[in-house]
Amino acid sequence: MSTRRLIVEPRGLASTRLKLLVPVASVIAALIVAGIFLLLTGESPVEVYAKMLDASFGSQRGIAETMISATPLILTGVAAAIAFKMQVWNIGGEGQFLMGAIFSAGIAIWLGDGFPATVMIPAVVIAGGLGGAFWAAVSAIPRVYLGTNEIITTLMLNFIAINFVNFLIFGSSSPWRDSAVATFPTGRPIPDAARLPEFFFRLDVGIFIAIVLAIIAWYLMGKTRWGFAVRVAGDSTDTARYAGISVPRKILGVFLLSGAFAGFAGGLFVSGPVGALDPRSLILNLGFTGIIVAALARLNLIAIIPVAVLMGALNNSGPALQSIGVPTATVSMLQGAILLFAVAGEFLIENRIRRPESVTVAANPEPETA
Amino acid sequence: MNDSQLVLTLVAAIGLGTPLIFATVGEIITERSGILNLGVQGMMLIGAVSGFWATFTTGSLLLGVIVAVIAGAALSWLHAFTSVTLRVNQIVSGLALAIFGTGLASFLGRAGSNPLVGNPSRKVFEPLITGGIAEWPVVGPLIFGHDILVYLSIIVAGVASYYLFHTRMGLSLRAVGEDPASAESAGVNVSRVRYIHVMVGGALAGAGGAYFSLALTPTWQDDPIGAAGWIAIALVILASWRPWRAVFAAYLFGAAERVQFTLQTLGDPWSNIPSTLLAMLPFILAIIAMIVLTSGKRARLLGAPAALAIPYFREQR
Amino acid sequence: MSTSNGEPLAVELRNVDKAFYGVKANDNVSFELARGEVHALLGENGAGKSTLCSILAGLYRPDAGEMWFEGKPALFKTPKDALAAGVGMVYQHFRLVSNLTVAENLALGHHDQGVRLDQKELARAAEELGERYDLAVDPTARIWQLSVGEQQRVEILKLLYRDAKILILDEPTAVLTPQEGQALFKTMRQLAGEGRSIIFVSHKLDEVKQVSDRVTVLRNGKTVGGVATKDADARELARMMVGRDLELPTRSASAPPGEVMFSVSDVRVLSDRGLEAVRGVSFEVRAGEIVGIAGVSGNGQRELAQGLVGLRRLTAGRVEIDGEDVTSDTVLERIDKGLAYVPQSRLGMGLAPGLTTEENLALKAFRRPPYSRGRTLVASAFRDEGARQIEQYDIRGVRPGLPIRLLSGGNLQKALLAREVELEPKVLILRSPTRGLDVGATEAVRNQILAEGVRGTAVLLISEDLDELMALADRLLVIYEGEIVGEMQTEEATSERLGLLMAGQRVEESA
Repeated sequence: MSTRRLIVEPRGLASTRLKLLVPVASVIAALIVAGIFLLLTGESPVEVYAKMLDASFGSQRGIAETMISATPLILTGVAAAIAFKMQVWNIGGEGQFLMGAIFSAGIAIWLGDGFPATVMIPAVVIAGGLGGAFWAAVSAIPRVYLGTNEIITTLMLNFIAINFVNFLIFGSSSPWRDSAVATFPTGRPIPDAARLPEFFFRLDVGIFIAIVLAIIAWYLMGKTRWGFAVRVAGDSTDTARYAGISVPRKILGVFLLSGAFAGFAGGLFVSGPVGALDPRSLILNLGFTGIIVAALARLNLIAIIPVAVLMGALNNSGPALQSIGVPTATVSMLQGAILLFAVAGEFLIENRIRRPESVTVAANPEPETA
Repeated sequence: MNDSQLVLTLVAAIGLGTPLIFATVGEIITERSGILNLGVQGMMLIGAVSGFWATFTTGSLLLGVIVAVIAGAALSWLHAFTSVTLRVNQIVSGLALAIFGTGLASFLGRAGSNPLVGNPSRKVFEPLITGGIAEWPVVGPLIFGHDILVYLSIIVAGVASYYLFHTRMGLSLRAVGEDPASAESAGVNVSRVRYIHVMVGGALAGAGGAYFSLALTPTWQDDPIGAAGWIAIALVILASWRPWRAVFAAYLFGAAERVQFTLQTLGDPWSNIPSTLLAMLPFILAIIAMIVLTSGKRARLLGAPAALAIPYFREQR
Repeated sequence: MSTSNGEPLAVELRNVDKAFYGVKANDNVSFELARGEVHALLGENGAGKSTLCSILAGLYRPDAGEMWFEGKPALFKTPKDALAAGVGMVYQHFRLVSNLTVAENLALGHHDQGVRLDQKELARAAEELGERYDLAVDPTARIWQLSVGEQQRVEILKLLYRDAKILILDEPTAVLTPQEGQALFKTMRQLAGEGRSIIFVSHKLDEVKQVSDRVTVLRNGKTVGGVATKDADARELARMMVGRDLELPTRSASAPPGEVMFSVSDVRVLSDRGLEAVRGVSFEVRAGEIVGIAGVSGNGQRELAQGLVGLRRLTAGRVEIDGEDVTSDTVLERIDKGLAYVPQSRLGMGLAPGLTTEENLALKAFRRPPYSRGRTLVASAFRDEGARQIEQYDIRGVRPGLPIRLLSGGNLQKALLAREVELEPKVLILRSPTRGLDVGATEAVRNQILAEGVRGTAVLLISEDLDELMALADRLLVIYEGEIVGEMQTEEATSERLGLLMAGQRVEESA
């Protein structure tokens, strides 16, 4: 009775090539799936994709806009990745991003016109991080001290933050609202000194700040004692306790750091391209998209940077699609499909599929029953 | 009397709660199998758009609901495949489903030369009974004044409850969610149970979506369901994984959503409360409920399936 | 294939192979089971007994070989197939859904009785079965409310509820007191008397002699022989089981013990359920002394060990290391004061499964040089120290970047012990350190423990394996229901005396 079924077993060690191949294949597969839907609705996928490519990379201005879109995604991607590495399911990047934006715009407006950029810009960036960390704390503290599942609380806090931004601008005469414009409520522009300098079309130095912050996160997680303890705790809570690592403090730290990164993104977006707490320019699912970035980058904090550029390019191409009569939602459909394929692709990275006969390396005998 | 704000609010709460019942009961069934599907929003939206499309094309409400149910189940199959067969992270997979479903629904509503967007539905679910008992004071609108899906949603909750606790398949389902290894060695096909119930959950989410596009807001727009899919996930916890309680939890949230309109009609000082703040109410309620009800070991006592969101690795063959 | 009286065999396996990750757990195994017999499968840990049983029960599929069931070729693809054919297994780690009732566990997976789940009818059936086979247990109780012995009864009832013709019991006595074991044997004989066949897995010769009709011995995944029990000589069986007159390391004449290094007085600890699991335990371990704590699993060993290392709060009592009170110290402070601990669950607690071997070797020392400088890690130290320890402690199968969970049990334990020993502890606590290991790894681990004793460490060995305790410990304590019920020098200890103490001396009451 020979069994000829394919055997699936843990791979243990995946080659770098495979780790690179799977995300690339995920993107291609998603393009094919979205292409099918485009065909079904009478569009030419080739034409649509060419248009998207052209909008995002076809001109210097396009590239600048792509980089502008990528900047917050680097940071929301890092936010998701460091939390997920620790098995902290912070899916509240959206809310933390917005709270960062609120804090940033708030401090800039509060400080007003009397300060130089050397004071204003650091203040705005730091305030963004604090805002994000504060919003994360609302979930993190119950999680750590009461054991409340953070998935639901972070999720719900997204919607509270969205409504809160709307409240500040549409529902009240808050300092964030521009009192000069009476017709339609908008955000009050922050002082010029708080705006990040632009250097390439509209592209501002926020992109460099984001990259530096991502590298700092990478160093912190991979090269420090704290990061090692976090990795142990993320791998096995019981083992961490056994090794004398304070798990609650690590969870709290990672959770707040994750929130801070999403908040940094909000801060940089306000002081960069947007220049005000403006709901229509800020509520773009950048927090959620960060999760896609993190997953496609396989939680690798450096790989997040190029992946964020890719996602930024997709986001950036939406308006161009509208001009040729294709729904902007093509972009979110594509992004959802990319995430689906990326997460499914983890299976290929984690597992090896082989025929039953070819016995491989001696590693593990019977699984331990204990 | 039937025009009193209290009655109007309660009636509206039942209407707004109905899609939440479908989606929440569906998610309860899914989670009872040990699979967490965060993609409810996506499945509801796909249900909403496909149901709307089917009714728009055929003029049949029944076909609309059937198509919505099939579409929801089809989308949830993707999640079953990634989390049961591929055993990858259920949280990320569910989010992927939500993002994909949202994008696809919006795309389908706007794509083509003759897009759905902006069109009113050709048919809308109407109250089953008009006049007579439906006009009795208070109980008339409250109990007899609804469309068929309102009653169906309650029946679905009842059937789900009976199924879970009084049938052998329900026993298998609970066992798979608690301890798949033990269930498997008792002869239960864990993968099959999970596939089936993830898809039942998707089907019900699809039906909930269709209730939005065919009853509550029967004109196609990009985002007809608000955050209902996300709220349903929170309601599962509020209902402590029991279908009957989902009915009450859903109506409570329906009421919370409706309150903002009610307050507007009450005049000073109530109407001064900004609607943006009131819109936060359901979410704040969910967070408080989460913290109060499910912190620490209480989640297990409440009925949270022990194996929820944990991939099951069948022993090597 | 048939027996001498022409009746077909209940089950026959021919030339079965089964490998896990290239390691053969069953290698050309053949096995015959007649109707109405109790057939013992004898073998050491890792000999392949559990694998063989799991193949019979449909859990694993063999890589090669044939299986015959009641005279016909058969292949069970799933446990469901096996159960349908009448083959059921009681696993070492019970397969009961702890949040369901006894009755619900019986009904689970049994679909041919209609759609409705009639709790009352189920409870009645369960009660009736329990009475008939002397396996009484409250059918409405939830599994987590039951004792281990009661849970085992539920497992057997589960099989009888489906009228299983072949019952496979995988080391059923490991979790029982000798008295409970006797009751089980009675039930087993009763079942065999009804024409059911029983496969009884054990590595205890006396049990095999007492209850079985025939014995098949497995060694290193191969069948080395089958005999009728009445013809078998205990020493002969032992030799077949071990293969050679294997001398595992035992302690030599004990060195004179030094100062009191570890002192525990009147310690009380609660279990997860909030019951008092450790009830006033006191003892001392001197430098260079190995003290063993014997006891049937579940008598407070886990809580005691966790309490001593700081993973579980003490409700009362005092713990001292080298004269210093550490009772209110954290885990980390105790580690720093020289307390090392080898927990029972290697991948569950002792090691971070997803991290590499090198990282796991640094799991406790990463905070100080050479692993870190200030707050920064030193990558080269992880690499160099790792390489040295992997070499020194003979940890095999390591590859760069490979998560440690993919090493074998023996290598996991070597790595775990290496890390603890490298801390040069004053006190070393171990729980069942050789459980589930093959002979070679057992030897290495035992040597390492003995070496620690020689080095002057105070060693506390908490184990359920009497052979191991008698071989390694200078002094033995017996724990029963959270209390130390006996203490003796190892020379004075006999299995019988220990067994009585481990059973709470209830024998005397009933005798």
